[in-house]
Amino acid sequence: MELTALQQDALVELLNIGFGRAAASLSQLTGHRVLLEVPQVTLQAVDEVGEALERVVQGHVASVHQIFSGRVSGDALLILDEAGAAMLKELLTNEPALPLAIDASAREVITEIGNILLNACLGTFGNLLKVQVSFSVPHLSIEHVGAILESLKVAHEEIRYALVVHAGFRLRDTQVTGYMVIVLSVASLDRLIHAVEDWEQSQS
Amino acid sequence: MPAEEENLDALAAAASKWFEQLDDRGVFITDDCLIVRRWNRWLVERTGLRSSEMVGRPLLELFPDLVERGLAASYHDALAGEVRILSQRFHKYLLPITRSFHGAGLTEMAQSARIEPLTDGHQVVGTITLIEDVTERVISERELRTQIIASDEARRVAEEASRLKDEFLATLSHEIRTPLNAVIGWTRILQTQPSVRSRAHALEVIERNAMSQMRLVEDLLDMARIISGKLRLKIDTLSLADVAQAAVDVVAPGATAKKVAIETAFAADVPAVSGDSERLQQVIWNLLSNALKFTDPGGRVRIEVTSDDGYVRLSVRDNGQGIPADFIPFVFDRFRQADASASRRHGGLGLGLSLVRQIVELHGGRVGAESEGAGKGSTFSVSLPAVPGPDRHPVHPVALEPVTLQGISILIVDDETDARELLVAMLENFGATVRAIGSADDALALLTSTEWEPDVLVSDMGMADTDGFALIRSIRALESPKTRTLPAIALTAYANPEDRVRALVAGYQNHMPKPVDANALAAAIVRIVTT
Repeated sequence: MELTALQQDALVELLNIGFGRAAASLSQLTGHRVLLEVPQVTLQAVDEVGEALERVVQGHVASVHQIFSGRVSGDALLILDEAGAAMLKELLTNEPALPLAIDASAREVITEIGNILLNACLGTFGNLLKVQVSFSVPHLSIEHVGAILESLKVAHEEIRYALVVHAGFRLRDTQVTGYMVIVLSVASLDRLIHAVEDWEQSQS
Repeated sequence: MPAEEENLDALAAAASKWFEQLDDRGVFITDDCLIVRRWNRWLVERTGLRSSEMVGRPLLELFPDLVERGLAASYHDALAGEVRILSQRFHKYLLPITRSFHGAGLTEMAQSARIEPLTDGHQVVGTITLIEDVTERVISERELRTQIIASDEARRVAEEASRLKDEFLATLSHEIRTPLNAVIGWTRILQTQPSVRSRAHALEVIERNAMSQMRLVEDLLDMARIISGKLRLKIDTLSLADVAQAAVDVVAPGATAKKVAIETAFAADVPAVSGDSERLQQVIWNLLSNALKFTDPGGRVRIEVTSDDGYVRLSVRDNGQGIPADFIPFVFDRFRQADASASRRHGGLGLGLSLVRQIVELHGGRVGAESEGAGKGSTFSVSLPAVPGPDRHPVHPVALEPVTLQGISILIVDDETDARELLVAMLENFGATVRAIGSADDALALLTSTEWEPDVLVSDMGMADTDGFALIRSIRALESPKTRTLPAIALTAYANPEDRVRALVAGYQNHMPKPVDANALAAAIVRIVTT
């Protein structure tokens, strides 16, 4: 399954609305001007996501994981490498981060940021589909990127796809790149893409 | 089935009771209009607000500060189906609760909170809020962070100290080798090309380099004495201007050669200070040579002595290359040089200014350095406490008359041939009659024979076989009254006060450190034979 150029453009535009909402929340929350750069989206089979991510993030990563359900359901994750997570925490809180494993405050901050971003993007999809999307409590884990994606495959027999979204946080002249992974069943993906196409047509 | 319904009712009642009793965190529930519907025991105990006061009332009216802090939006998000995490770091707390914290008295409770929608199928019917008290965690994280910063800082300081020591050792080897190269090089030239012109020049270079190395060794010894607390001051009441003038006289030839003008401005009626004139001269000499070192030809060095509120202040200002602002705090530190690179333009160990500070502080004074930045010159100052009371007038040093040793016969005892020859040459220059002997035993034999009766004995202390201490004890035990009271001067390479005391106790009238200055030795001989 592949996205057409049109579908890709429409998804980027929608995600941008979500990014704008998230950036505004983060700016208000931290008192710093936070920008989220225009997202890049690719669609991949879930089996290939691990390989793709391992090319850009190495070692242990912090991931914020939320399950969402409704007419579109799946898993949403924000993945930051440890250095990125520590830097984001430092930039947003003005205090040096300790290693995430012993810094419960930093883990909480990353969880809150992940929650804001994931909700903003998925909330935009929900509005588009005119359905309510419900979210599980976000869960933060620190482990190897391969292990995280393995756990996503294990629980599901069906073929699933992942939208991999590059999320560049820009604040105080520094850039931190995170990766948003939205894993969907074929049925959910289908519904989402149709809704996106309808929306695109209604715009023109 | 009624039995099953009954069971479910009982379960719901038990769950509700469990919820009320839950006391490890705060939990409250609102309906979809944000009216409080449940308020657990933890909250009752921490806020002092009873469940009966809370249930049935709108949350945002009970806690208007939630609206002011933008948290009402989080409740509206929850009603729209989203979960909200409220991290302690960003929000500090959800509900204002004070608690007593051991050691810190009353404090605001640090809280992490989570707001979740409560749904019936896909319909949001209310919200549930969980609050955790994280005060202890926040305090221990803060302490941990402080400790990590402190230990990073300690490591940085230790690494810096070790780096400075390494740099100092590298500089030291360089500074020791440079004059040695000149001495050895010119000595070889003297051995191979004995032409008259190069001989005079060679000797001049050798002397200059030997002197510079001697100063280096003296600085090192002084620093070692200061570090081990063994530097003793010979305190007199003196005029800082006189000491400054003496120091200016020493550096004047060098300044003239470099085409740097030295201006002096000594205010009249400056009170005396109490101090060690030799050490203070060393301080001023160091400041002046430092100023000369960093001032280009055509520049100016101005030395001033003024008095100010119980202090006498000496300042040395130059219009040379100045000091970068970030280096000023370290300028008096040991081993520090602003430019420690291999290609640095200026020699020296970086001990001079550190000695200045140490010596001035031993005098109860203060040092200071100012510069308007690189290229804008610098000013170093020394403030010493003025001597209070009527005895404000310092003793002026007596001008030295030219020394002559005409008609004085001197016996030199030293087991090192070079040292012996040097002493003979030095003293014969002053017109003395000199005999030199290589061992204490031979010297004693000569003195006992009365074949030749010297007016004064100059003896090395550390000699193989019989040393200088044993020699003088034997002399003082001789029969002949003249020989028994022979005036004697001890010379040693170990110039600490203990050696001096030992030499005087053994029977010498005076003690002088090596390498000895010819003028000083001649003057000491004159003093000893005329008293």
